[in-house]
Amino acid sequence: MDVTQKGHDKRSADPAAVEMLRIADREGYSTIWERHEKQQPQCGYGQLGTCCRICSMGPCRIDPFGEGPTRGVCGATADTIVARNLARMAAVGSSSHSDHGRKAALLLKEVADGTNTDYHITDPEKLLAVAAKLGIPTSGRSLPEIAGDVADTAINCFGHQGETPIVFAEKYMPKKRFQRLKELEETLYKATGAKTGFLPRGIDREAVDILHRTHFGCDHDPLSLVAQSVRCSLSDGWGGSLIATEMQDILLGTPTIKTVKANLGVLEAESVNVVVHGHEPILSAKVVEMAQSEACLKAAQAVGAKRVNVVGLCCTGNEVLLRQGVGMAGNESHSELAIMTGAVDAMVVDVQCIFPALADLASCFHTKFITTSEQAKIPGSMHIQFEEHHADAIATRIVTTAIEAFPNRNKGRVYIPQHTATAIVGFTVEEILKALGGTPQPLIDLIVNGTIKGVAGIVGCNNVKVQQDFFHKELTKELIKRDILVIGTGCWAIAAAKDGLMDLPAQELAGPGLKAVCKQLGIPPVLHMGSCVDCSRMLVLAGALADHLNVDVSDLPLVGSAPEWTTEKAVAIGTYFVGSGIPVHLWPVPPILGGPEVTKILTQDAKQVLGGWFFVEEDPVAAADQMEAIIQERRAALGI
Amino acid sequence: MKRIFVDYKKCLACKACETACAIEHHPGHSLLAALGDRKTQVNVRVLGIEHEAFPLSCRHCEPAECLNACPSGAITRDPETGAVLLNPALCKACAMCAMVCPFDAISFKHTHRAPFDRDVAYKCDLCNERIKEGGTPACVEACHSGALIYAEYDATRSSRAAKSLRTYLLGAEGMPPLLELFRELRRKEFARRSGGV
Repeated sequence: MDVTQKGHDKRSADPAAVEMLRIADREGYSTIWERHEKQQPQCGYGQLGTCCRICSMGPCRIDPFGEGPTRGVCGATADTIVARNLARMAAVGSSSHSDHGRKAALLLKEVADGTNTDYHITDPEKLLAVAAKLGIPTSGRSLPEIAGDVADTAINCFGHQGETPIVFAEKYMPKKRFQRLKELEETLYKATGAKTGFLPRGIDREAVDILHRTHFGCDHDPLSLVAQSVRCSLSDGWGGSLIATEMQDILLGTPTIKTVKANLGVLEAESVNVVVHGHEPILSAKVVEMAQSEACLKAAQAVGAKRVNVVGLCCTGNEVLLRQGVGMAGNESHSELAIMTGAVDAMVVDVQCIFPALADLASCFHTKFITTSEQAKIPGSMHIQFEEHHADAIATRIVTTAIEAFPNRNKGRVYIPQHTATAIVGFTVEEILKALGGTPQPLIDLIVNGTIKGVAGIVGCNNVKVQQDFFHKELTKELIKRDILVIGTGCWAIAAAKDGLMDLPAQELAGPGLKAVCKQLGIPPVLHMGSCVDCSRMLVLAGALADHLNVDVSDLPLVGSAPEWTTEKAVAIGTYFVGSGIPVHLWPVPPILGGPEVTKILTQDAKQVLGGWFFVEEDPVAAADQMEAIIQERRAALGI
Repeated sequence: MKRIFVDYKKCLACKACETACAIEHHPGHSLLAALGDRKTQVNVRVLGIEHEAFPLSCRHCEPAECLNACPSGAITRDPETGAVLLNPALCKACAMCAMVCPFDAISFKHTHRAPFDRDVAYKCDLCNERIKEGGTPACVEACHSGALIYAEYDATRSSRAAKSLRTYLLGAEGMPPLLELFRELRRKEFARRSGGV
């Protein structure tokens, strides 16, 4: 295993992680890094995307050197196989976000009709704004009535059966983009005589469509498969994820700007520590709420603890960080390290990005590893089933379980690395517009006069193939240095927060233009917009800029990046950015290089067709060079 | 004499060779039988050396140091195929062969061929029975990408040399460009992780 040298650890660029990895090495705890080493060498067919396991005549693999088999048993080419595999990744990613959104919409419906009394309409202002956007009448109507209609509209987007686009996409997508995609569908039909769609018809339908068309013997045309991947991903970005964000804002409150602490140092040696991990805030928000109750405080004090300290990890962490201001323990690669501190009394997880290895690791400590979702059960965990209509009681039971575990904590094994950074977070579209005086015009003026060259949205995960947080931090610093405002979500946002890039002193790292703006507004040059479903907030912001100027998103000096991406959700996010007209940088390489035509479609042809495309770069500075070049090219095209 | 050659740049680390070897050397001759059986022997291992992968097995050296070192006469050479063979009935698991093997291609285990209910040395047997019948070793047959070749050295050498020279002299395309890119990006990925910054 790796050995740290002079404070440098090739596994992580986070100082708290480096300290914890020394403990992991000493104690022999299994980590993602160690398991990744054991997986070497990893299969090249999988990395190239040319392994097909769709039917039982296979698995088939295409020899990328062209000397062995060039077609699968059915005759599928490398490009067909690559495109089908990619489409399935997009379908899974889109489904994960969207299913999250579905639950939020169903909960809003229950709150509206009074069948759930544990949750409330916390943000009526947001409810009215969403209703107005969707064209739902509000005047003279009660909040529950309006909420019922908003929820119905959202729920209907999932099961919509017609050929027309879903309401959320139609109402939220900037006009020029919607028009461009519609015209593209018509143009392609005329030119080829074959139907190809981009505008999502139903959130569930677009994913099911991919499952259908990638079944044995259906769609084999790489272009058609990529087009459907775009459509499915758009049903996520302008559908499922967007619904998740909007419904959660109504139910739990739209995040506001607040100052928080980030990194493992937020764990408290003298308190009961509960780590909430996963993606859905519906439960975790309740855990935070119940932990602050008088009863829980007393129970904690009764076992000798100061209080119950709830901290976040991954995107559940982002959600409660933004809304309730709890501390952020870390991103995906911190999940094992948090348990290794020996100071976590319970880790409560919902769905997505939860290593099954956490159960085994938790069993080495007093830590209760609690799964809560019907969709994410992990052998070795304690399962406390979450149900929305008993949310208060269940959240209390979870907190109580943590309190009961506290006396079993072996204080001799506790090591909390004393690293935290201050981060100013909660820059939702609403908060950004508020800071700008209610209109995007000041931001547009700054971009037009070149004070800010453009905006980069960075998203995504940690990936064990990249030194943890290294690419996130270096790319971000490189971009703000060039007067490019950086916004983003997910595990990137946590990396930036941990590194102090979301604190005011980071203004000094920005170029002169961006620095002056940030100083004037009192904001950091790197803005935390939320969890990974909140990438929809970036789309909405881009849409607001585009509509304000009456141009397409693809005309704006915007660029995206997922520099440490891991999951299928990231495939969906990247693809809906591209489908919305935003070029996207990726690292590591997606599994497409085995298909030359698919590679060409995604990296070249998409530029003409969609105005967004993918590019791959391993070096942060070179990636920033390319991103800046794209911004400059777009500025030149706009004549600014 | 034919040998197994490794064109390591073509190895995609799919490990199909490992699976095929396990099946070939299992008395059940099936994947189902070999799975979960502790006595299953795999004579070839795909090793990851940074971004490169290499299917490593006995090179059937001539002279073979293991053969000379074996005190119990368990290791012999089949003059017909050149295969260096290990007789588990004579093996005392003293590990002299493993210690002198320049490729570390000899392992120890209680395999199905071990007659005395104990560990014995085991290694690649070149699928001696198959090749005597005019076949190829199971690993070579399983390799999809042409990384494993069973051929006469001269024929292999001249065809490889001709191919390289075509690229060198005529500027003809070597590896497909996206494969070159794939290898280059993998090299960079590993270099950054091992080098730090």
